[in-house]
Amino acid sequence: MAARGHVQDPNDRRLRPIYDYLDNGNNKMAIQQADKLLKKHKDLHCAKVLKAIGLQRTGKQDEAFTLAQEVAVLEPTDDNSLQALTILYREMHRPELVTKLYEAAVRKVPTSEEYHSHLFMAYARVGEYKKMQQAGMALYKIVPKNPYYFWSVMSLVMQAISAQDEKLSQTMFLPLAERMVEKMVKEEKIEAEAEVQLYFMILERLGKYVEALEVVQGPLGEKLTSELQSRENKCMMLYRRLERWAECNALSCKLLLKNPDDWQFYILYFDSLFYLIDQSWAPPQEGVHCVEYWGEVHASTAQAISFMEDRIATEEAKESKHLRGPYLACLELIRRLRERSCPEAQQLGEPLELMFQFFVKFGDKPCCITDLEIFLDLLTPDQHVQFINRVMEAVPLGAPGEDGVALPGDTRALQRHLCVTQLSRSLGQQHALNTEGKLGLIKELKAHYRHGLQFGKSCLKTELQFSDMYCLMAAHVYIDLWLETGDQNMLWQCLGLLEEGLSHSSSNAQFKLLLLLLYCRLGAFEPVVDLYSSLDAKHVQHDTIGYLLTRYAESLGQFAAASQSCNFSLRFFHSNQKDTSEYIIQAYKYGAFEKIPEFIAFRNRLNHSLHFAQARTERMLLDLFLEADTSSPLEESVKSMSLCPEEDDIPWDSLRDNRDLTVLVSWNPKDRQLKEEHKQHSLEDDTLWLRLRSLTLRLIGCVSALTHLPASRNSEKTTENGVAAKPSSLQSLLSQLENTLNQATQFTEKQLQHPYPFVGPVPSRLAQALSSGCCQCQLSSLQLPLHLQELETAGLDESTELQTQISNLFKSLAVQLQDMLEKCKGDLLDVKDDQSKPQQFLLENLVYFVETVCIVLWVSNYCGSVLRPLKSSLQKKKKKKKEASTVTPPVLSAYQEFSSSLQSLLNQALEHIKSQEISLTALKLGALSLEGQTQSEAEETFTKTAMDKVQSSYLRSLQEIGELLKKRADTLKSLKI
Amino acid sequence: FVSSHSNLDPLTETYGIPFYLQYLAHWPEYFIVAEAPGGELMGYIMGKAEGSVAREEWHGHVTALSVAPEFRRLGLAAKLMEMLEEISERKGGFFVDLFVRVSNQVAVKMYKQLGYSVYRTVIEYYSASNGEPDEDAYDMRKALSRDAEKKSIIPLPHPVRPEDIE
Repeated sequence: MAARGHVQDPNDRRLRPIYDYLDNGNNKMAIQQADKLLKKHKDLHCAKVLKAIGLQRTGKQDEAFTLAQEVAVLEPTDDNSLQALTILYREMHRPELVTKLYEAAVRKVPTSEEYHSHLFMAYARVGEYKKMQQAGMALYKIVPKNPYYFWSVMSLVMQAISAQDEKLSQTMFLPLAERMVEKMVKEEKIEAEAEVQLYFMILERLGKYVEALEVVQGPLGEKLTSELQSRENKCMMLYRRLERWAECNALSCKLLLKNPDDWQFYILYFDSLFYLIDQSWAPPQEGVHCVEYWGEVHASTAQAISFMEDRIATEEAKESKHLRGPYLACLELIRRLRERSCPEAQQLGEPLELMFQFFVKFGDKPCCITDLEIFLDLLTPDQHVQFINRVMEAVPLGAPGEDGVALPGDTRALQRHLCVTQLSRSLGQQHALNTEGKLGLIKELKAHYRHGLQFGKSCLKTELQFSDMYCLMAAHVYIDLWLETGDQNMLWQCLGLLEEGLSHSSSNAQFKLLLLLLYCRLGAFEPVVDLYSSLDAKHVQHDTIGYLLTRYAESLGQFAAASQSCNFSLRFFHSNQKDTSEYIIQAYKYGAFEKIPEFIAFRNRLNHSLHFAQARTERMLLDLFLEADTSSPLEESVKSMSLCPEEDDIPWDSLRDNRDLTVLVSWNPKDRQLKEEHKQHSLEDDTLWLRLRSLTLRLIGCVSALTHLPASRNSEKTTENGVAAKPSSLQSLLSQLENTLNQATQFTEKQLQHPYPFVGPVPSRLAQALSSGCCQCQLSSLQLPLHLQELETAGLDESTELQTQISNLFKSLAVQLQDMLEKCKGDLLDVKDDQSKPQQFLLENLVYFVETVCIVLWVSNYCGSVLRPLKSSLQKKKKKKKEASTVTPPVLSAYQEFSSSLQSLLNQALEHIKSQEISLTALKLGALSLEGQTQSEAEETFTKTAMDKVQSSYLRSLQEIGELLKKRADTLKSLKI
Repeated sequence: FVSSHSNLDPLTETYGIPFYLQYLAHWPEYFIVAEAPGGELMGYIMGKAEGSVAREEWHGHVTALSVAPEFRRLGLAAKLMEMLEEISERKGGFFVDLFVRVSNQVAVKMYKQLGYSVYRTVIEYYSASNGEPDEDAYDMRKALSRDAEKKSIIPLPHPVRPEDIE
């Protein structure tokens, strides 16, 4: 709000200091200054609004809102007030109020171009497409500028896109938009490129591809100049839609002649070629055909082969850098010809030979592996060894040293050699080795890695080392060994090696990501925090890789870190919701109409992100586990997060999985790579877990509402805010939870037989939670309130059967909790025969135990609140009747018994944690000899560093869990009745 | 959403989504992405057109150029720059300019090979976060055909401060 135009206005001069204070973040002074000004000039509304902004920014939302509304009801028409209110409403996340503001303003000043345009933008911010359309037209009537007219047209297109009913779009919105543009075309009023773009968008969405083609190729198309090859790209897209393969082919030919490295046109060239062959296409007999527009059409295998040969010959003849395109395209053509069993495939040469030649040309480029990887399946299995030997011959290596390893003399040779090892891994040759072979391979890779470091001595710390990938590959071979043999030492050494690699190449993201994954799987979250922050993940990366943090932090008992990771993600998602609207508006301003639906789709994609829903739910649960009923009552916590049990805020049907599951490089052969079904399973896995958690959360909300129902339990008072849970919603949530639990059990049984690849998605918490018994136990405890409600109505006298039922539930709950606790016992680091084996699942179980204890305590608290009045009225009765016999009703004694068994359970758990802490502290992992493992001293140091990190992390988890449990134990007293 | 590779490179800034959206909204044609045959993102360039035509300062600006580590040394950056230059030619720009960290010698060398020269040094253009000193930037330029006499790239004798550039 810095620059304001009219300096003459005395009000501007008066307001200036307030603006300055606000701009500098000095909100207090801004409020004071506004007050001062308002004393002198009561009617200076803008000062009020500015004061409201100050109030809003100092956390006084309610005051700010009241003050702003005082001005808003006056329907201001001065620029200052309007703009200030706009800013305020945006900060309040109430963009809909801005529309009201400008609706009033244009009513009062119907000829203002400025207010009308603000109104349009205000509608755009909230996505009121119909009103935008009208506002755009109104603007155009006042000031007949083209952009305004097309704003209106675009709003029609947006109505079409957002319409639930596809028919409505096709028969009403889009045709109307089309007619509006046609009118301008007829009147020859089309001015800008953006207008042609929009016309094109409309025709495309209407499926009028022929008409669209006419536009692009006609005079209007000449305006399409900003983007490179804009007209060609559009034509190509239309040819494909229209299945005009001859044109498609001719155009891709032409574009390939211009740029023989553009892969997408090779694909189109081949696609169209084979369609033409299948149609036995022949050139039209007479006249100038549209085909001639672009040039030659290839409709036979022979033509395609000679086209490829020409491309390669041209490339060979070039003095400058060779392009990869023609060579790769040749392999692609072979693949396609083979798929059709065309014997002509042989004319292009033997793939092994072609790939060898490619390696000779490009083997020293890091991308050689990614290029060749996709064509490795052209080799027959018995060619694999031959191929690797062949390419290996093309690697200049020195004479083998003492250890029998021949090393490269410069970085180019290194890159070539690296590429060969990558190819060999991709072909599955490394996986086929036995344990000894793999250990030998690791030794060799390490030798190459360390030798290669000399080439990168002058590298800046932001650069990667030339030989980093050897280190990464050795780490992957260690992981292969660990997974195969279960030998824990392989994992420790792998961690050590990666730590070593990171010490030489502190910016290597692959090292960090793999370390991060390994530490997570080992249950050691502490080192993960630093690794993640050194990755410097920002913005959208919180969505693509942030899931790792939220998956593990909480489940490993690092609650502080868990809150923080959720916050990272949530902050990103919330700012996205707000920011994107502003850029949609900008896109209107600059006429980037094509981008508007893209921006909206992007916003939706983030809003519907699975990770967003997870972070939201887990964050709330975490807050409750950590705070509710210890630092503030459950009821208040529930209220402050405006948790409403009746409302489900997760878009289950449109959840988007935005995780980047391919971020780790492993050069695994195809059969070990991530498959589509893994992704689907993982999505199902995560969604089921999310459903369980979200239902649990809502049920906790119910319990809270029941406990704190106004004292008038039996009176008819309506409940405030609709927070109170009706028994019906409790019932329905419980049965949903039960159903989901059944689904989850079935899913997990099935899933255990098909584990994900190691570098693929991580399993959700589901399986471990189920095996810990926590899900069942939480469900049992959440069922209690239902029965107690019944008891409340029935009273103590007439409910023997019900009381027995409740008593049994209490008993079974105590047993379940004891079972859960038993599953937590054992050593986190199990030291046997000089090997230390992490048992991180114990840590996870402990967390589930604590979470369940929290829930059980809340439920017990509710039970207490029901039983307490019943007991006291019973005592009163007794006093009156002066009965001597004091038979306590069974439900009361069962409850008391239950709370004392809770006490003993918590004591046991705390003792267990204490003893684990002591033995972990005493454990000197460093002293464990790693002998027999041929590790050098330097290697051992790194391995020990990694072990220390795990040990320290376990300790920290135990401390955090212990603290929380202690806090919970302190609330036990309040259960007394 | 597979942009992680190139953007995890510490020498490239990962910008906030608003930043990308702003460019896409205003200069969509200046956003070019290169994909490999396997579908991997190889690199991208992002830029804008700005400056006064009257003062012969209308030009193309390279905001971000990033090539994933495994696709380097292929001339991809040169190709992307060439495309950006062509777009700027079409818009009638006088020159193309870019800012680069003085310490990023690899990049400076590459831009020189592509015909760019240092026009001026901008003092403390890059702010550092962790206590290290702020870093200077080179403002590098290459004249386009509209500036036939190459007036726009005559080096300034003195460095300037960030607040002095428009």
